[in-house]
Amino acid sequence: MLHYDFMQRAFCAGGIIALIASALGVYLMLRRQALMADMLSHVSLAGVAAGIYLHIDPTLTGFIAAVAGAVAVEYVRRAYKTYSEMSVAIIMVGGLSTAVILMSLARATNKSFTSYLFGSVVAVNRTELLLMGAVALVGGAFFYFMRRPLYQMTFDEETAKTNGLPVKWISLGFSVITGMIVAASIPIVGVLLVSSLIVLPAALAIRIAPSFAAALVISMGIGLAGVFSGLAASYQLSTPPGGTIAFVLLVLLIAGIGIRKATYKIRKLL
Amino acid sequence: MRMVSLRDVNFGYGDVPCLEQANVDIFFGEFVTISGQNGAAKTTMLKLMLGLLKPWSGTVELARRNAGGGKLAIGYVPQQIAAFNGAFPSTVTEFVRSGRHARGSWLRRLDQEDRRMTEDAIRQVGMWEFRHRKIGELSGGQKQKVCIARALAQEPDLLVLDEPTTGMDQESRLGFYRLLQAQVKDYGRTVVMVTHNLTEMAEYLDRCITLERKEDGGWKCCTTTSCSGHFAPVG
Repeated sequence: MLHYDFMQRAFCAGGIIALIASALGVYLMLRRQALMADMLSHVSLAGVAAGIYLHIDPTLTGFIAAVAGAVAVEYVRRAYKTYSEMSVAIIMVGGLSTAVILMSLARATNKSFTSYLFGSVVAVNRTELLLMGAVALVGGAFFYFMRRPLYQMTFDEETAKTNGLPVKWISLGFSVITGMIVAASIPIVGVLLVSSLIVLPAALAIRIAPSFAAALVISMGIGLAGVFSGLAASYQLSTPPGGTIAFVLLVLLIAGIGIRKATYKIRKLL
Repeated sequence: MRMVSLRDVNFGYGDVPCLEQANVDIFFGEFVTISGQNGAAKTTMLKLMLGLLKPWSGTVELARRNAGGGKLAIGYVPQQIAAFNGAFPSTVTEFVRSGRHARGSWLRRLDQEDRRMTEDAIRQVGMWEFRHRKIGELSGGQKQKVCIARALAQEPDLLVLDEPTTGMDQESRLGFYRLLQAQVKDYGRTVVMVTHNLTEMAEYLDRCITLERKEDGGWKCCTTTSCSGHFAPVG
């Protein structure tokens, strides 16, 4: 299958996104913002719909909408400090309702929406691959240079503030990077399942990792394994890549938790 | 030399005032506690001192430089850290070591001295044998000790602790008071701590600040008391 250009691009794009999205997932899970990826993907869908309706590149408009949504969520989160998850609900409703309205207005292009909703291996063109590479580079640099402040903020933002960290700006930067990664992941896994690529590897890594650094590495490994095997299965079975990758990641999560529990019980018996 | 100074500070949540006309000075090298009944705005006062809350009116001044002219290092141990759930994948050593990152540049590579300070801090709070354990697996009292170790690893000029002995047994508490006293006497650090155990701590303190409700209404007043022998509020 790798002799096809589109499969080479899909594997390249999938590998890049798997690494960066699963690292992001660890921070999102620990900051209790796991739903943020889902929310931003719905906002991104509004951007895609706007792009199709206005005859502008939907990838670009989806990208801009996700980043704008990420900035908005930071401000709404601060307005609803006590109920921060409310910001997710508010912006998700805003994104999805806008997307539905624009999608109904752009009826003639329903077919292209399917690839944005569920992902497509043939949907990844050269421009998108370059965009993913750029996002991975920016995201990777952010996570590398900000790894210690982010670790500190993951525990407690107030303690981080007393340590002199510009928590507000780092948090905003983190949200923007999240929006960029979500938007870049959409061509491969689709809007509806983009959160699976971010949340599922991290969910398993957090359960089995002996340390924080190990959690990041394990999450990236699981993400990579899930995406590559999901893409291969998608090609062989002619199924949408988004659903197949999400399903493989779910199987890995269930198997991982099962093995961990079995190991724990065996150790107890010995 | 003043470490923290509150002048005519008023603060509340929503429209409800909880601290009115608070005037407090804390000086370099003091061991001071803040006490009062539940809801007396003790944590609020700490957060105002640290700049985590902005007063409605009045001024809060926190020293920017330590006695040596360097940047003031603050070690803050909050009442509870919400992220400390059972699944948090971080070891005790990893967490305490993060206190060293807070000193100087966040990008600098930690050296032998940082490793030694991390290990010392873990030993000081009696958590050495748990150093490789995930913090999410520890008990409430042990988690509290790990937070304290992180603050100590920072070598803070100002150590601020919000009810840090919650969940600790009596032996651990007494050992902890001695540890804090040593921070003040041996290293010249300033310690500000919220506590309900004033009687137990009396012999270790320089001063206590008592927050109490005034007889005529719903707001609190703030009185600073010398800790030489008794803790009855004055003024």
